[in-house]
Amino acid sequence: MLARNFIKHFPCKNLSRHHILRDSVRPLIFFTSSTPQSSFSISASLSTSSSSSSSSSCFTDESFAAPYLSVRINCPKHVLDPFSDALLCFGASSVAVDEDIEEDNEDAASGSSLASKEICIESIFPVHEEVKMCISQAANSIGLKEIPKFKVEMGDEQDWITKNQDLFQPVEIADRLWIVPEWTSPPVPEAVNIILNPGFAFGTGEHPTTKLCLLLLQSLIKGGEAFLDYGTGSGILAIAALKFGAASSVGVDIDPLAIKSASHNAALNNIPLEKLELHLAPSENSSSGRETPLQKEQFDVVIANILLNPVMELADHIISFAKPGATIGISGILSEQLPNVKERYSPFLENISIATIGDWVCMSGTKKGEFIDNC
Amino acid sequence: MAAAKEILLRRPVAATIRLTVPAGGARPAPPVGPALGQYRLNLMAFCKDFNARTQKYKPDTPMAVTITAFKDNSFEFTVKSPSVSWYVKKAAGVDKGSTRPGHLTVTTLSVRHVYEIAKVKQTDPFCQYMPLESICKSIIGTANSMGIKIVQDLE
Repeated sequence: MLARNFIKHFPCKNLSRHHILRDSVRPLIFFTSSTPQSSFSISASLSTSSSSSSSSSCFTDESFAAPYLSVRINCPKHVLDPFSDALLCFGASSVAVDEDIEEDNEDAASGSSLASKEICIESIFPVHEEVKMCISQAANSIGLKEIPKFKVEMGDEQDWITKNQDLFQPVEIADRLWIVPEWTSPPVPEAVNIILNPGFAFGTGEHPTTKLCLLLLQSLIKGGEAFLDYGTGSGILAIAALKFGAASSVGVDIDPLAIKSASHNAALNNIPLEKLELHLAPSENSSSGRETPLQKEQFDVVIANILLNPVMELADHIISFAKPGATIGISGILSEQLPNVKERYSPFLENISIATIGDWVCMSGTKKGEFIDNC
Repeated sequence: MAAAKEILLRRPVAATIRLTVPAGGARPAPPVGPALGQYRLNLMAFCKDFNARTQKYKPDTPMAVTITAFKDNSFEFTVKSPSVSWYVKKAAGVDKGSTRPGHLTVTTLSVRHVYEIAKVKQTDPFCQYMPLESICKSIIGTANSMGIKIVQDLE
């Protein structure tokens, strides 16, 4: 891909020569930030306790509950697009514009005659960013004569976390197979119900790839298999396999939060530790390589629902854990990415079949080997 | 305004959100979390979708994402390569532009840099039919507005 090659080879030979210039610019920045704060107000509204369910608190990690600045800016309508882009260049993390015209203009300090020509932007800034500086630089870069009026508030992190959790509703994957949030009671008590609190790990059953993998599992597990869930996320596949009758499940992930979420979900479904093992795999940056305490050729079914790049890089690794004749399922890939994955895995797999939902695919096949397992 | 809304009559739009996310690195933490969470969009679905579609870029390249949030909490998004100013800053090796563009020059770039950036930008969905020269002019304009001068050759 052109863009990728370009970025890799970009020479940074200017770096050392312009260090001196860069340092001399710094003092200017500090100087302008000490101007009187008459033009904006900061009201910190930190919410300390959480009124939402107690289970959400065990998933509030520092990075997710990080504070942020929420800034409302009144911007002239005709420069909305360039101004939004400029804000993002000069330090804003995100810029959002409501489609509804704001009727409530009590925040706008300007007269009501201008209100119809202005639009309100909600922007999020990192907590240490110089908001006034960014806004004035953005305005200058597109030639605005004056700096737009704005108001800064401390972001309410609990608010969006709660809204996100509220979205998770019971999902029916197939006839008599439901994924149910921890805080809801199962709509169909007699069905196979997997109780989940995914926290911030991936896997609520709503995503097409999760559905594809669950359906694959349902068709494969007859009873007594050893299952490996590579990239387990919330643990949904590992738990589902056990519910379908597998003898044991192992879940591997590089994210410690995923492991935490998966073990919480195992407990929610009354799964004893002997049946579900969880391992934290070292991520690419660690130098110790990919040593997990798992033996090769140990599993009857292996599923890896991750993304294209990991699935390509770890192909040998993933396949090595499967017994000859075992079924391997690969997902998290888009249909346009399938040819690459197929090419990578076909030396090792036969009877390859593809299942599709929308743009997403799940590829499964059996591992080639001398001893075909007939159960 | 009502007429304009009828044109988009597939689904009513609630908001348009723009943000910068590292390629392959979307996580439901700030800035993605609060920005999308405000409009009740499914964070994990966005992260998985975005990460899958940006696999072909070098990891952690800041991608410009525009999300259209619909009133029924569904959404669509488009992904563009990093903004011109990001490329310009990276090429020049600086973190921020000048505080007084037009008066104070932070650093300089050569015409060859501009050409390289233009070639990358031409792969963007927007710019595919624009002549390279127009893209170059726009890049020079952005660089100037950041206090970065373009010279023929770097000494």
